[in-house]
Amino acid sequence: MKIALVGNQNSGKTTLFNYLTGMNAKIGNWPGVTIEKKTGTIKGTKHEITDLPGIYSLSPYSIEEEISRKFVFDDKPDVIINIVDATSLERSLYLTTQLMELDCKVIIALNMADLLEKRGIAIDEKKLEEKLGAKVFKISALKETGIDEIIKEIDKKEDLTRVKIYDENIEKSIEKISNDLSKEHKRFISVKLLESDARFKEYNNDAIDNIKKELEKNYDTDLEEIIASERYSFIEKTKKECVKEKEVVETISDKLDKVFLNKWIAFPIFVVVMFLVYFLSVGVVGSSTVDWVADNMDAFGEWVGTSLENAGASDWAVSLVVDGIIAGVGAVLGFIPQLIILFLCISLLETTGYMSRIALLFDKLFRKLGMSGKSLIPFIVGSGCSVPGIMGTRIIENQDEREMTSILVPFIPCSAKLPIISLFAGYFFDKNSGIVSASLYFFAIIVIIISAFILSRTKFKHVSSSYISELPEYKVPSAKYVAKDVFDKVIAFIKRAGTVILVCSIVIWFLLSFSFGMEYGVDIEDSMLASIGKTVSWVFYPMLGQNNWGATVSAIQGLVAKEQVVSSMAVIAGLAEDVEEGSEIFADGTPFAGITAAAAYAFMVFNLFSAPCFGAIGAMQRELGSTKRMLKAVLFQTSCAWILATIVYQIGSRIESGAINWANLVIILAIVIVLACIIVSKFIKKGDGCARCPYCNNCK
Amino acid sequence: MFLSELNVGQKARILKLNFENKEIRRHLLDMGLTRGTEVEIKKKAPVGDPIDIKLRDYELCISKSDLKQIEVEVIK
Repeated sequence: MKIALVGNQNSGKTTLFNYLTGMNAKIGNWPGVTIEKKTGTIKGTKHEITDLPGIYSLSPYSIEEEISRKFVFDDKPDVIINIVDATSLERSLYLTTQLMELDCKVIIALNMADLLEKRGIAIDEKKLEEKLGAKVFKISALKETGIDEIIKEIDKKEDLTRVKIYDENIEKSIEKISNDLSKEHKRFISVKLLESDARFKEYNNDAIDNIKKELEKNYDTDLEEIIASERYSFIEKTKKECVKEKEVVETISDKLDKVFLNKWIAFPIFVVVMFLVYFLSVGVVGSSTVDWVADNMDAFGEWVGTSLENAGASDWAVSLVVDGIIAGVGAVLGFIPQLIILFLCISLLETTGYMSRIALLFDKLFRKLGMSGKSLIPFIVGSGCSVPGIMGTRIIENQDEREMTSILVPFIPCSAKLPIISLFAGYFFDKNSGIVSASLYFFAIIVIIISAFILSRTKFKHVSSSYISELPEYKVPSAKYVAKDVFDKVIAFIKRAGTVILVCSIVIWFLLSFSFGMEYGVDIEDSMLASIGKTVSWVFYPMLGQNNWGATVSAIQGLVAKEQVVSSMAVIAGLAEDVEEGSEIFADGTPFAGITAAAAYAFMVFNLFSAPCFGAIGAMQRELGSTKRMLKAVLFQTSCAWILATIVYQIGSRIESGAINWANLVIILAIVIVLACIIVSKFIKKGDGCARCPYCNNCK
Repeated sequence: MFLSELNVGQKARILKLNFENKEIRRHLLDMGLTRGTEVEIKKKAPVGDPIDIKLRDYELCISKSDLKQIEVEVIK
């Protein structure tokens, strides 16, 4: 039998799903969107169960709700298990009243039964069963009690009759409409037609419009609101008869929030928490684990190399396995310890309920940029490494906000970009190298703000300016849940990012090891990559002031890992791989001899903002949901980088040659800013202005 | 009076939702902000926006700009 698991966010749905399936769920992606669908088999049976996204209603307004509705209509589950948070019954039963209108067997799992007594709530489930017309079971997904009763119930025939919940007029209209329908889920569709749900307009006709008009005469508002009100009054009435509760004055969560949301100490506490997360995942602890894995991978590569040589494999085959595959895959594996720590931190922040508070702290600020308060976390993590940063965007619920954040996270200089900065800044700006390095961070922040501003008004126009989100209570996290959560995310990373990296690393290895004559083991200068570099070096002309194939090849190699830019430059200059001395790399006679300070700054800017490394590209592909959208994002990032680097060089080289002095520059900048403001303001007016803004009545 | 004007601890009854944006209005209706519902201002973010309100035995955070569209009468 096919079973769907439906419930509010935060209702313990995933915990119940994991228990029912014995944690053997297959994770797949819903087509077109990045919301995950999980399907598994209930242990001990042949029932296939699908975990639907957490929703509050089956309205047509959010992707999650649309997916759930589509699943119920197209995949036709035989049974719906509706998980209900018993501690907030009123809101949870709203979804139940909608599910009960479907032609499906509905079983209600009253979760968190273990908490009821503590809260002084008593629920009479037999009475509730009678009032709702659906089987009700008290369970605790966390303590794993009561669940077997549900499994037994799945096979039984439903012997309860559905109740009518609306007032007489509406019930009559529903009956009239449903009599003319021939489809399944008649009652559900009839209610949707009354609500003027756009997804069902194919069933609409003049007769229904007349029924609606007639009905609306009895009330002073539209039917959408009336039906929602009617559902809630039914729930209130039911609750009064089935539930007894004590008045709670101040909960533990209220007390904790007095500290964590305090006007004065909320931000200092946040800084401490963020520091801990950063310190553990990308700081000292995280980077030492990365080094450890890297060392072991090197040793492993050497061992495999010698073994293959002994077995008589030819040079190129050994190199393919060692330098191509193992080095490439090693780059992915290197991230894993870091990712585990990061996901652990994030999972703890989420399950304890602190994440929702972080969103509250920064929401106002980030909303102005079309992102969410939670976007701050990926950016902070991204300053260590873009890969966990991009994967950290998962915490953002809104799809547009999530995607925008994942595209902008790589703009923050990650730790792998530091060698590039220290090489160029150290050699070309000598005494000012500190200021120059810092200036790049400010530059990055400004670019992120501007990009966010533009993206949220063009590509991601539908980003809502409102914030409506449940504030969950603080909870002690469950070790089992956290472990499963971290495990799932890490496996997903290995699968997706791993395959992208593997393919790309092999391609780069091939281009670097062979000449166009298919000769193996040539000097880097004769390799295919160098030939390509020479052909496309004109792309870099506007930012370097010369055709420099060495810089081009290094930038391409930066795709594998950004720290490779420096080692690649060292190799091209004919030095050992680990040379990081500017005086040697930029010495006369090397391909980099002609680079000026302006070109150096421009090249840094290009490497900072251009396509991130394959690891981050893989993570972006996963978060954006398709290769096409990932390529678009990479193109956006690279074009930004090219334009910015060109501007930097063109202005910088003119300052160097004395064509522009500082006074002129200030004037030019002022003109550019004024022009930009005019264009942006025009651009916004030209857009759909009023239509885009949901609060029009104040302006009129 | 609008919900955005209330202070922490005050209780009010919802009179009307003035949203032009149907999506937000529907979402709030689904979350239980129907006419006649009693709400209490529980907490505010340190910068004063969004605001956390209690209704129907749970807590919901809503941005101030949205609360400006909700007409209420103060009970306490």
